[in-house]
Amino acid sequence: MIGAQAPVTVGWENVPKVEGGRVKQFIFTWFQPTMLFALLAFWYYAPNSIAKASTAIGIGIGFRVLLLGLEWVNPRYESWRLTWKELVTDLFYVGLTYTLLRIVDSYIGSDVMVKAVQHHVHWDSFKWFIGLPLLVQAFLISFIFDFGQYWMHRGMHHWYPLWLPHSVHHYITQLNINKGAVGNPVELFLIGLGIGGFFDFVPRAFLLAGSFGLAIGTYQHINVRFNSPKWWRFLFNTTEHHSLHHSQDFEATRSNYAGSFIFIDRIFGTCVDGEAELLGMEGGRRMSIREQMTYPFTEGWKTLKERFGRPSVAVAAE
Amino acid sequence: MTAPVSLARPWPPQPGEAANGGPSTDTATLFVKKFPGMRFIGWIWQVTGSLPLAPEQSSDEAFDRLAPLFRQTGTSYERTSDALVFRKKDQPAQDKMSVFDSGVLRIEKGATGSVLRYHLISRALLFCFLLPPLFLGIAQLTIGMAKFEKPATEAAGAPGKASGASKKPAAKPAAVPQNPIDKFLGAPAPEKPKKGEADKPGGRDKKPTPTPAYVFAAIFATLYVVGRILEDRLVKRLFKKSLLGSQNA
Repeated sequence: MIGAQAPVTVGWENVPKVEGGRVKQFIFTWFQPTMLFALLAFWYYAPNSIAKASTAIGIGIGFRVLLLGLEWVNPRYESWRLTWKELVTDLFYVGLTYTLLRIVDSYIGSDVMVKAVQHHVHWDSFKWFIGLPLLVQAFLISFIFDFGQYWMHRGMHHWYPLWLPHSVHHYITQLNINKGAVGNPVELFLIGLGIGGFFDFVPRAFLLAGSFGLAIGTYQHINVRFNSPKWWRFLFNTTEHHSLHHSQDFEATRSNYAGSFIFIDRIFGTCVDGEAELLGMEGGRRMSIREQMTYPFTEGWKTLKERFGRPSVAVAAE
Repeated sequence: MTAPVSLARPWPPQPGEAANGGPSTDTATLFVKKFPGMRFIGWIWQVTGSLPLAPEQSSDEAFDRLAPLFRQTGTSYERTSDALVFRKKDQPAQDKMSVFDSGVLRIEKGATGSVLRYHLISRALLFCFLLPPLFLGIAQLTIGMAKFEKPATEAAGAPGKASGASKKPAAKPAAVPQNPIDKFLGAPAPEKPKKGEADKPGGRDKKPTPTPAYVFAAIFATLYVVGRILEDRLVKRLFKKSLLGSQNA
């Protein structure tokens, strides 16, 4: 039963609304759809000279800085306020993702998988795909990636060897923009696996697909109160959904696995609409970075010893 | 967020502690005596300061007002008549002093009145201080790996060495088709793949560059300076507010 172990709010009617004047309410109701459609329009019409990965990186950084500003202006919870220590920790993991993990990926990760696929699949096999309207291509790329993420993420919550590296991410006690990057590097590597990057042979569709991730997926971890429109929260993942997934209640954590498209959870019956403020594991114990790095290995070793180790009682009896 | 306070000491006696188990008169001084070099680098992870108490405020009263700051999950502390020693483990982000891991607060009586002196240790500050060199190291690693790979790539690409099979790229069309709907809506026509790019579908062969590591090194250097100043001021303000807060209420 959801909410038996820790307080959670279930049902949209019980989720608080944005407080303040009309202008504030208008901004925090329409910000999300506006940004999504603006990004889609930009990548749809941008000249080829601008529609490049470097532009996407710049937009991504700018958008995250803007969202950090929104966290400051309209926090969902005061208890989730970004502190200096949290910012440093979060950015450390972002930094690892952009540097060391990228090197690893280029040797044994998704880059290698994608390269192998691109080498063996003939371009002509995808003529039908690149003949589709751009937005359809973009949606399919994004959906295929998210569908894979859904099952990887669900697997992490139901299979102990995958749970071990993922569990570290669940020790965070608040949601902020860069909290999605916090986790054991093994998990960050696993969650990055996928052949979403395969579609970079259609650059514009690939950049459009990135807009779905940026303008929807980013809101999983954010401390901003939005009045997301009904259709938005029916289709897309929101902070509300993801806060439930991070709550201290075990049953609630087994919901809302998708990254961007929450309708995948609705299809498979794992969606719960609601939110939570108290997040984390073990009553909100925050792991140190050192423990975040070693926990899957030390915990895994402990479990192996418990299962296969020689019982000490038997030794004593001899 | 409050939690039961553990008054039992969860850590072994610290350097410079008094024999009775209570905090020594000056832990920082004894520590510096033991490790003289720390005098010059201790500021990296240690925050010290002082605040004058109100004339009528006793040590007990002052510590009573400060005590709620230490009644947090993962925090243990011990009080004597003139000092408070605390230690934190796995402190949540919601703890107002989460950036500090241990410390000593002491009230000293001077000619002009009582003064609260504090000496706080922050592993987070030290960690942030070490991050720029770490990322500079990662940048060097990236450069080194690229250099290491270059001769191998050149050797593989040398004339006569490449086999016919490895030379055969994933074939690309001469022109990328555009859906009529996109054409009607005015989306720019897709570019033809440039000559030579056919071997690298989508630029997939791009290798990591050291630039992100340099950027993050700069970010953390900036963050360290900001944090060292900010956290010093914030904790002073927090102590001041706690000492005066209930007095004003």
